[in-house]
Amino acid sequence: MDIFEKSRASELFTSVIALTLLYAIAAPGQVATKTWSLQHTPDGQPDLEGYWSNVTITPLERPAELAGKEFYTEQELAAKEKQAEQPRSAEEIAGTIAHYDFHQYGLDRTQTKHGLNLRTSLIVDPPDGKIPPLTAEAKKRAAERAEERKKIGPYDGPESRGLGERCIVMAHEGPPMLPPAYNANLQIQQGPGYVAILHEEIHDTRIIPLDGRPHLGPNIRQYLGDSRGHWAGNTLVVDTTNFNDKTNFHGSGENLHVVERFTRVDADTILYEFSVEDPTTWARPWKAELPMTKIKGPIYEFACHEGNFDMVNNLTQAREQEKAAEEAKKNQK
Amino acid sequence: MSWRTVLLTIVAITLGAIAAGAQPSSYNAPPTAYKAPRTADGHPDLNGIWQAVNTANWDIQDHSAAAGTVVSLGAAGAIPPGQGVVEGGEIPYQPWALAKKKENFAKRLTADPEIKCYLPGVPRATYMPFPFQIIQGAKSIMIAYEYADAVRNIPLNNPGESPAPAWMGWSVGHWEGDTLVVDVSSFNEETWFDRAGDFHSDALHVVERYTPRSPDTLIYEATIEDPKIFTRPWKMSMPLYRHVEKNAQLLEFKCVEYAEEVIYGHLRKKPSK
Repeated sequence: MDIFEKSRASELFTSVIALTLLYAIAAPGQVATKTWSLQHTPDGQPDLEGYWSNVTITPLERPAELAGKEFYTEQELAAKEKQAEQPRSAEEIAGTIAHYDFHQYGLDRTQTKHGLNLRTSLIVDPPDGKIPPLTAEAKKRAAERAEERKKIGPYDGPESRGLGERCIVMAHEGPPMLPPAYNANLQIQQGPGYVAILHEEIHDTRIIPLDGRPHLGPNIRQYLGDSRGHWAGNTLVVDTTNFNDKTNFHGSGENLHVVERFTRVDADTILYEFSVEDPTTWARPWKAELPMTKIKGPIYEFACHEGNFDMVNNLTQAREQEKAAEEAKKNQK
Repeated sequence: MSWRTVLLTIVAITLGAIAAGAQPSSYNAPPTAYKAPRTADGHPDLNGIWQAVNTANWDIQDHSAAAGTVVSLGAAGAIPPGQGVVEGGEIPYQPWALAKKKENFAKRLTADPEIKCYLPGVPRATYMPFPFQIIQGAKSIMIAYEYADAVRNIPLNNPGESPAPAWMGWSVGHWEGDTLVVDVSSFNEETWFDRAGDFHSDALHVVERYTPRSPDTLIYEATIEDPKIFTRPWKMSMPLYRHVEKNAQLLEFKCVEYAEEVIYGHLRKKPSK
């Protein structure tokens, strides 16, 4: 499968759903198609190894104008695909001098065979495709966070900038893992007793022990949380807690609890499902799913922090602007 | 068995031990009798969380204890003494490069890439004072380091040419008996070997050997080749120890946050007058 090849994923996605249903009915390990059967690693785990992309045009939440509509029709998807192709280049956006071609690999959200699919939102539960409303406590937390942010200007120092721009962690790494604006490449590596997930951006490896050990103690808090996994039939189930309060996943606090499910459904596809709960943030848990598509790989070194000219340029420019404003003030006197 | 036979046996064993101990640079060599447990696909099982227990990150050569570069840290910031890991003791620098190493050492408080939380390179990643984990698959081996989320993917088949120089290089692995051999090339020239200013160029070529020595120890050897900097290839070696704690795991050490003041502090907004 050529990663550059764009193909309509709707039929494939339908077959994914069909295969998933088969999984639910058939005994573990007995799913077989003519062309594909589930492989296992030498130590007997269902094989998830390889390079994957979770790029998609489907938004996390269902847009208001699609209320009540879980799937696009074929015609609507075709229109959506066309829309996703606009603009072709950043140069078509007035005032832009960047040379980004949105069709190049990494920037094109329709680039994998599951990039386009009929779902109108990744969220499948609640059925309206929306994140449940924030609790009173979460609204208070959001207000406090906003107050905190007001204390420093947007370019006062490195801490003023987002975690991604600081090269600490990218929001898409999660968990839950969601498609980023670009570079959705990741690698899954399996060894005896472990599954590891490496995100190209920013070379974070989430190492998931499968031995049933308890989570870390409550005083150890991490950006990517603390993951524990087990195999339920052919599905890898990963339970993550121990988040710090800086990741702020759609308003969450450190009580965020994520359960992910990885199921290999064919040679090119992992069905990735996750559920999220945090009673201090949402009135009810919610769920989403998206397919991950096999890509060629390999994963390259994304030395984000080492090459962070963006931070230097932003802060330098802010200081220059302040200096210029001060000069202008002096000259006025 | 007579007392005489017992005595002769003891003498023989003692002589044997002395002879073994006298072998040059063999202190790190794996006992030939040791046969490592196998993975399901028949290779030595290197899976686990490992760490070097030495002071190579301060200086890969012999060094006495010394005061640290940050006076206010007192004893906590002092340099611990250590015997070197370089076989033969000396690093064969070209004369200009030795001068450059000394200059690096003098400027280490600002010039050592570790200060800025930059990726550590190879072999330094191995003996940073942090654990790392080997996740051994049939087709590739991943090494994830706690320090700075550094990671290497080591394919066991030829992945082709490296597309660009990298901080952690471009690794290709293969098995030689019980030893995992990793050929690492395509480095940039930004990383150091230690806090003492030992350095290399973009011509660096490292061949690493990971050999099981006992259930909970590995021998790590790295042959260093860099014709722009050294007069000949040289080698370092050290044991690596397994973390045997039941709950051992890598934790997050995202050090960018701790380096931002050092890197960007001069670009902060000054308090208004």
